[in-house]
Amino acid sequence: MRTPRPDQVRIGFYICHCGTNIAGALDVGEVVNHVAGLPGVALARDYKYLCSDPGQELIQHDIRDHGLNRIVVAACSPLMHERTFRRAVEEAGLNPFYCHMVNIREHDAWVHTDRQEATAKAKALATGAVRRVALHKPLETKKVPIHGEVLVVGGGIAGIHAALILADAGKRVYLVEREPTIGGHMARFDKTFPTLDCAACILTPKMSAVGAHPNITLWTYSEVTQVEGYVGNFNVTVTRKPRYVIEDACTGCLQCIEACIYHDARFPDEFNLGLGKRKPIHLPFPQATPPVVLIDPGTCIEFKTGKCKKTCVEACADRRAIDFQQREETRQIQVGTIIIATGFQTFDPRRIPYYGYGVFPTVYTALEVERLLNAAGPTGGEVILRNGKPPQRVGIVHCVGSRDENTNRYCSRVCCLYSLKLAHLIKEHTGAEVYNFYIDIRTPGKGMEEFYNRVAEEGMHLVRGKVADVYPDPADPANGRLMLQVEDTLMGRILKVPVDMLVLSVGLEPRADTQEVRRKFNLCCGPEGFFLERHPKLAPVSSYAEGVFLAGCCQGPKDIPDTVAQAGAAAAQALALIVRGYTEQEPNTAYVREEDCSGCKSCIPLCPYTAISLAADKQKAFINEALCKGCGVCVAACPSGSIGQNLFEDEQLLSEVEGVLTYA
Amino acid sequence: MIATIEPELATVCQRDTTLETLLQQPEGRRILSCIQCGICAGTCPYGEYMDFPPRRIISMLRRGLMEEVFQSDSMLRCVACYACMTKCPRGIRLSDVLLPLVKEQTLQRAPEMPAELQRSLQNTLRYGNPMGESSRKRANWVTTSPVPVPILAEIRRPVDVLWFVECYTSYYPRGQDNSRAVARLFNALGIDFAILGNEEKCAGDCGQLTWESGLFETLTDYNMEILRKYKFNRLVTGDTHAYNAFRIRYPMYGFNYELEHTTPFLTRHVEQLKPRLKKPLNVTVTYHDACCLGRRAGFYEEGRTLLRAIPGVKLVEMVHNRMNSLCCGGGGGGMWLDTYFKQKGMDRLSERRIKEALATGADVLAISCPYEVYRFEDALKTLPHARPMRVRDVVELLAESLED
Repeated sequence: MRTPRPDQVRIGFYICHCGTNIAGALDVGEVVNHVAGLPGVALARDYKYLCSDPGQELIQHDIRDHGLNRIVVAACSPLMHERTFRRAVEEAGLNPFYCHMVNIREHDAWVHTDRQEATAKAKALATGAVRRVALHKPLETKKVPIHGEVLVVGGGIAGIHAALILADAGKRVYLVEREPTIGGHMARFDKTFPTLDCAACILTPKMSAVGAHPNITLWTYSEVTQVEGYVGNFNVTVTRKPRYVIEDACTGCLQCIEACIYHDARFPDEFNLGLGKRKPIHLPFPQATPPVVLIDPGTCIEFKTGKCKKTCVEACADRRAIDFQQREETRQIQVGTIIIATGFQTFDPRRIPYYGYGVFPTVYTALEVERLLNAAGPTGGEVILRNGKPPQRVGIVHCVGSRDENTNRYCSRVCCLYSLKLAHLIKEHTGAEVYNFYIDIRTPGKGMEEFYNRVAEEGMHLVRGKVADVYPDPADPANGRLMLQVEDTLMGRILKVPVDMLVLSVGLEPRADTQEVRRKFNLCCGPEGFFLERHPKLAPVSSYAEGVFLAGCCQGPKDIPDTVAQAGAAAAQALALIVRGYTEQEPNTAYVREEDCSGCKSCIPLCPYTAISLAADKQKAFINEALCKGCGVCVAACPSGSIGQNLFEDEQLLSEVEGVLTYA
Repeated sequence: MIATIEPELATVCQRDTTLETLLQQPEGRRILSCIQCGICAGTCPYGEYMDFPPRRIISMLRRGLMEEVFQSDSMLRCVACYACMTKCPRGIRLSDVLLPLVKEQTLQRAPEMPAELQRSLQNTLRYGNPMGESSRKRANWVTTSPVPVPILAEIRRPVDVLWFVECYTSYYPRGQDNSRAVARLFNALGIDFAILGNEEKCAGDCGQLTWESGLFETLTDYNMEILRKYKFNRLVTGDTHAYNAFRIRYPMYGFNYELEHTTPFLTRHVEQLKPRLKKPLNVTVTYHDACCLGRRAGFYEEGRTLLRAIPGVKLVEMVHNRMNSLCCGGGGGGMWLDTYFKQKGMDRLSERRIKEALATGADVLAISCPYEVYRFEDALKTLPHARPMRVRDVVELLAESLED
């Protein structure tokens, strides 16, 4: 192994006390003494907090005063402060890659209890680093330009809000929504807690702003089918499903719906969760954005038999918006950053059979009740049961599919408050006696506890206990009245409460296709299945994929204020990248020594980032530096040893290992 | 569907677990996570008759006030139906561990043991069966079987299936109907089977669920020794309580044989059985999910699959079915506490269940646990009803439809 000549290399070694984090667990002085005697080391010091300004300045002064040209910092994890020290070194005139960090906190001080052994380990690691840094080469961080366009996936309130901020900042936004209209879950709500302002009144202006914004390309009834590339340069394929209506030609006059051969709406209406009916040609709801109708080929006579009179086409007349021949289309776009705002799905209460959802017609989910309460809903805002009668007694069961080992362990965060809201609204609409059955009432947030107070004062029955059984009331089986059996845990008494209507406050779940979306965008999921943020506190909207940000309930259950705040944060993060105009790339990339490469192609399928291709002219492997993440798989796999990697050169690694072993 | 309690778990707790050591064990730590939601008390069929339903027991246990709980006879009302354990949002093994331990302490402090229960437990200790019949008559029913029933001690060779018959199905006439039916079905399927005959003693499930630990261990030691004498591939039993004991507690005493209940066993062979089921029964049937087979082991569809395989059977459901099934009231010693419950002014759970069965308009109430024949046939005698209803084990219905 080649040893550097001492007159060439002058290493400065610094060990950080990190308060007592490191100095409390090992003998810092002993490490300094040991390293000071190693070849090439010009200076070795310890310091209380090296990451502080004076700590950094100490290194910078030493570089100038002692002619240091390599720096080793033994401190915390490089994830924490590698940038800090590289920048300090660079400011003092050295190439930042002449600085190397040794992690003696997470890898040593925090995980060992024997002081002597911990000190020995720190010495070994430091020796390895000193050996390695001597062989470091100056490297350059590459700047890769960023496309200014942003893809927002999902058109609920999170996606809408993020798209508007970016568009208002003058950036081009592609908003892709799977459903025929944007609006998401919020568009289905009646009123919102705790202020009770109407969801539509605050949402639809934002929806139409999206539809009208010159900087937003809105693709509804569309899905992202492929994502390639990397931060700043994503190539995205979007598939647009046929709605059999030409978007640009449709004026939203709705005359086609009027003219449909079916006089009456008779098919379950998806937007109203099957509580209402629609025709084959329909608009999901009056304020749908875009205001473009669509045809359901599953129920349309023309699609089923080809023999419809096509009264809709007649009604559309010379606008000629209806196109039975429409096919699925794909669009290719290039964007620099992506915001994932794919939302959630509500828990399917059939998974808890003892609540009788789908068995007893008087059992509803909370979302269904939102539609019943809504003036634009299937009953025009009247809370009436499937038998046409208004309920006189209503039970609301909290935590359905939340806080339960058998379904979802986590608290869905919004159910307590929406249950209180529904209790208030049901009482307001029907005058019914309303019972809330809860385990704990959780009302954090501005104005929330006050709202709880207000609803309680209105005379709601609040029973602390999880409903255990639901069965038809033996005294009144004919009218569909149900008996709820529950322990009032505060009274310590078993109650049997007859109700005409049972509302299940279903929890929020990751969408069924979360794993598919995760793979498409290279994201990670937490244990409960929601997309994982990079740091729960300090990077709550960043994903583990560079340039891909998270907003709203796809990251975890949250209410509308938090969703909007997070969407704004995600937009700001995307904007920060765009405005800077470039991303920096770690130069620890792999490179091909072409003279040795035989063009065997064995590295190509192994690369997890599809960074390697075969240069057709030379028949040699070619590594796209922008795509390479420096994982080293190709380096290890190359049969002729013709792939190297910056910062992880064979000689660097081997002398580091030697250094560690020499000491040990 | 709600996940059933993991069936593969070898043991639910340590053999020597007591209320004092429980909270230091993994199972006990789950108890510490109880959120006092009360679903256990709400779902308990006798919850309204308990001063200390499971939720309050946990509360008292965490505060160190158990002595107060033992002074109440609440826990004697637990029929070990597993409803609380199945629905518990914290996955606390109430019926497996905590409640039997409390029941043991309650019984030890009770000024007087309910006479009926005491007699049954004594009989079980003395004769190996709760009815107090001679242990030498256990295999007498075999002579009434239409097909040969080999006895292991006589045939002296390994068999594929060791059929553990158990008490009710050996001694009581209606229980023997079950055994004769199983013998015919095994025979029709060409199963290589044999029974233990007079060597068999009660598996002791209800001894276990009342946590009469001395009695239970006596039976366990005895049966384990007998089982070790013979070679067989799997143990099959038609008694859900024996099945429960072998599955949940015998592993603590070294039991590791392949184990099956007749209902899932026959379901595995249903395609073979179907062509032989020739006689249409032309009845409407409603199926009662036995607690130990359904909630405790997750076999909800197997009994229904068998019933659907019978020609001329129309299956209808009761309001409470599958995991929400109502207990017949026979578990946890409830089989011998009817008089005691009546003294306390409590209604009979078998009657509650029969009312639901009658409401379906079915001709037959199909069951898969030998306790239920008695409990439901008795309830039918005491409850006035216009339309006649018969109680039949699934195996009896299968055998009835079997060609000769």
